[in-house]
Amino acid sequence: MKTGIFLTLAGALLLAVSGCSNSMNSVENAQKSGQRQMIADQRAVTDTGLAGKVSVVGVNSAMTSGGFLKVQIELLNTTRSLQRFSYHFEWFEANGMQLTTLTPAEIPDEIQGGEDKFISSVAPTPACKDFRVKFIEN
Amino acid sequence: MKNRIILPILAAAIPLAGGGCGTNAHYIQTGGSQSVVTIGQINIQDYIQAASSMTSELLASGVLDRVANPPAILAISRIVNNTGQQVDTDLLTKKIRVAVLQSGKALTTTTMGLGGTAEDPMAKGLQQENDFKSDVQNTRTPDFTLSGKIIQLAVKAGDTSQSTYSFQLSLTDARTGLAVWEGEKEITKQGTRSSVGF
Repeated sequence: MKTGIFLTLAGALLLAVSGCSNSMNSVENAQKSGQRQMIADQRAVTDTGLAGKVSVVGVNSAMTSGGFLKVQIELLNTTRSLQRFSYHFEWFEANGMQLTTLTPAEIPDEIQGGEDKFISSVAPTPACKDFRVKFIEN
Repeated sequence: MKNRIILPILAAAIPLAGGGCGTNAHYIQTGGSQSVVTIGQINIQDYIQAASSMTSELLASGVLDRVANPPAILAISRIVNNTGQQVDTDLLTKKIRVAVLQSGKALTTTTMGLGGTAEDPMAKGLQQENDFKSDVQNTRTPDFTLSGKIIQLAVKAGDTSQSTYSFQLSLTDARTGLAVWEGEKEITKQGTRSSVGF
């Protein structure tokens, strides 16, 4: 009798856990036409929990036709469940001074389990040469 | 004996626990992740996010560079509010104006407005006076106008409410009347009640 109840509970728990899992499959063209210009990145990790769940795969950049630096970051959710986080870009001029006149947009975002996604931003002025992106778990 | 130890501890713990429920007024970063999030209203972080996203798209598109005499001159046209709340559209447009000005790609006129109304009447008066005195029209007409709409789409399922705010902007070439750039940013919020933080 007790074993029956235990098995029912275990089954319900398993169903509940699998219901939370929200992993993603994807397909893309194998022969890529575009070539990403990957750049070397420097990371500072203080939230190992977030970094372990949502990892930065790589960073690439390009210049727009108007001379603005565009940065794209590839993220990977290494877990099987949805992860929520926020990020914002900081931009720096050629002399290393941060552009602080505009209120930075804190962008809430989410990434499905196992999903690989890109986030990107364009520098606010052509004078911006460097950037930093900050992530925080929601 | 037990009561003599436990009761004072409990008595001290209750106010501490009660005190933990509220927060004293404090400053937070505008639009930061500790901002209040409400479902039925556009919050400041929504305006910041929409303006930032659309400004990035506008600057990256390069349309502001396609003028004979750069920087481009921009006039702000009508931003229609189709939400169920009172909205000051400057919360959106001012951020875009500041950003394009700082980018060096465009200047916004404050002497030309919708229906002939100037944002800065004194500047308009002085401009007309200068034009009259010099007998030459120095005023540059706008290269582009910026118009748009803010739409709210609200739905509910049981106790869960969801609102999608769609911020739509069009940049029109003032010479041809054709929209040369269009941007849309949708922000969706869902929940059963308002919260502090994202």
